[in-house]
Amino acid sequence: MSPAGVGGRLARGVTLVASIVFASPALVAAQAGNAMAGKALYELRCVGCHGEKGDGKGPAAELVVPKPRDFTTGLYKIRTSANKAPTDQDLFRIITDGMPGTSMPSWAVLPDKERWNLVAYVKAFAADKFKEAPKKLELPKDVASSGESIKRGKEMFEAIECHKCHGTEGRGDGPSRAELKDEWGHPIAPANLTKRWTFRGGASRTEIATRLAAGVLGTPMPAFIDSVEKPEDIWHLTNYILSLGPDSPGYATLVTVTAVSDAIPDDPSADFWKKLTPNNIPLLGQVIVDPRNFNPSVDLVSVRAVYNDKEIAFHLTWDDPTQSTADPGKKLFADAISLQFPPQPTPGVERPYFLMGDASDAVYLLRWENGKGVTESTANGPTKIAAIQGAEATGKAVYANGQYRLVMKRPLVSKSETRPTFAPMVFMPVAFQAWDGGAGESGTRMSLTSWYYLRLEEPQSGRRFVIPPVVAILTLAVMLLVVRVANRRA
Amino acid sequence: MRKVIGVLLAIALVTGVALVAHRPGPAGAQGGGTIEATVTYAGTPVVEKLKVNKDTEKCGTEAMIEKVVVGPNKGLANAVVSVPSAKGAAKAVKTTVDQHGCKFVPHVTAMTPGELDLKNSDDILHNIHTYSTANPSINKAQPKFKKMMTEKFEKPEFVKLTCDVHSWMLGWVAVMPNPFFGVTDAGGNAKIENVPPGKYAVEAWHETLGKQTKEVEVKAGQSTKVAIEMKK
Repeated sequence: MSPAGVGGRLARGVTLVASIVFASPALVAAQAGNAMAGKALYELRCVGCHGEKGDGKGPAAELVVPKPRDFTTGLYKIRTSANKAPTDQDLFRIITDGMPGTSMPSWAVLPDKERWNLVAYVKAFAADKFKEAPKKLELPKDVASSGESIKRGKEMFEAIECHKCHGTEGRGDGPSRAELKDEWGHPIAPANLTKRWTFRGGASRTEIATRLAAGVLGTPMPAFIDSVEKPEDIWHLTNYILSLGPDSPGYATLVTVTAVSDAIPDDPSADFWKKLTPNNIPLLGQVIVDPRNFNPSVDLVSVRAVYNDKEIAFHLTWDDPTQSTADPGKKLFADAISLQFPPQPTPGVERPYFLMGDASDAVYLLRWENGKGVTESTANGPTKIAAIQGAEATGKAVYANGQYRLVMKRPLVSKSETRPTFAPMVFMPVAFQAWDGGAGESGTRMSLTSWYYLRLEEPQSGRRFVIPPVVAILTLAVMLLVVRVANRRA
Repeated sequence: MRKVIGVLLAIALVTGVALVAHRPGPAGAQGGGTIEATVTYAGTPVVEKLKVNKDTEKCGTEAMIEKVVVGPNKGLANAVVSVPSAKGAAKAVKTTVDQHGCKFVPHVTAMTPGELDLKNSDDILHNIHTYSTANPSINKAQPKFKKMMTEKFEKPEFVKLTCDVHSWMLGWVAVMPNPFFGVTDAGGNAKIENVPPGKYAVEAWHETLGKQTKEVEVKAGQSTKVAIEMKK
């Protein structure tokens, strides 16, 4: 054999090894799990939701939305493969990181080996579906984000009609929303593209592009890889989706009320509000008293608050996919939101019970309801609410593209003891409650927060624009005087 | 050398002729019989109506989900009549399903294993979402600019077609093992031609009413009538 032949074979061998080692990092990282060891772990950790038979019908299944995965079908939402079977790495990642916006938690607390054993056991529920080895999904060449790419992405978003499900501005409020069902016939909500921290399969560029290209199996989300005008449109769409909302909600710990000297506009769409930084507050389902709300609709409210010498105003923004008023025939309720305060600022850390007070300590509720407007009431618990006579508060709301914006106003100083008076520099407890009537929420079926604090900034006055220049001019004058005196002496 | 070429040529010729002579002709093309099937259903038609909240200029304002369509004389439309046990090779016939007026047209398409053209003549987004077990299920977007898509259905089975954008859209693709099938018209009639003579069980399948079979004897050059009644 000629040396060239040997060299060629050697080179081919090296390439082969290299391609095995480097071409598929998933394969390198993947470990062969032990399904039998995984079974014991599964029966300890997973049966509660996914069920003994792996059919997603565990005892907790009826309480969770979206429903737990039915492993017997071998269908998985999140995959990086071009065919139906996900890679072992895909399953491992979901077990490790969990699925945002669902009841699936992260199991990173378990050692790697145990998670690989779970992968092996979960696959065993539909062994025939994993006979065909996963083929790697080839994404088109990455296109970096730019103004132009985002513009093209928006064009494509409109051309392929993403809005049908995801809504014009991406809040998951499209006209097909109510009709959507998953492969098992359960209603399924389209993703709110402005809140990408809730994306089930992750919010990185590659993850978003992969979902667009391959679709989300078992759901209405189809594959688009062959259904865009040019392959790179997948990346333009990704860049556009990334431009629709922030990376993270950046939750606030304190609600700051900005001092203003001018009149406060009533219109929630006024430019005035856009200039203020929102305080984002997370809301959770009310699960303390019956009927409970395990799958709340409203999970975030953005609060912008201002005050002047006469009044205090709260500008609230929250997503709600349907604008609904009370309709008892259709079992629909009105959308609503409320702010809760103690009737008077409380000294120290004592506060009424956060769930709308109790028999001994009442709370004051400033509430807006679609079709009814703003009301004020005193509550001694979530079912003991009494309206306060003589309204002092006003409000105005607008609804567009799956989002409410609301302004509620009230005099800073209250005439009665049932309503709090707001004073600058005082930490005032505040809590929030929201109802998505279109999702059947009313009464105790709400989303809420525990107590937060609200603080009115130090009042601003014109003096801060006057004093510093005056001081500067005086200093200059003194310096000039000193120089002149010194010159004269010399 | 020349001799060798000559021999080779001769062998090639003989083999070629033999192959042509032995190739099975189009199944039952000559001497086959015809089955004229009438499928009936004594029950009431099932048509669900849904108010349309989008694309009304293409879909209309009211969608009809035609689950059981009964015509005059109880004739049942959209049933697939077939002769599963008849022997005959599948012919490659181009089959097309159109998405038109937010409906799958025809509602039931029967084909032999192979390719199916999926047309979108609505100028709006549809998605082809299939429910199947033998064939891989598909969920592919078909935006307005994608007028045609081609998908493969290689295994015989009844495949459900849906569109998630327009939840009322429902269609079926009957992938049949042989070319002896027909889909009933509004009067419940279907004709299957060129069936090789013999005794068969004729099968009628309907998406909600299931399957019924009936024995028939097909005679060369003759037409055999068969009446099948579907039961709930």
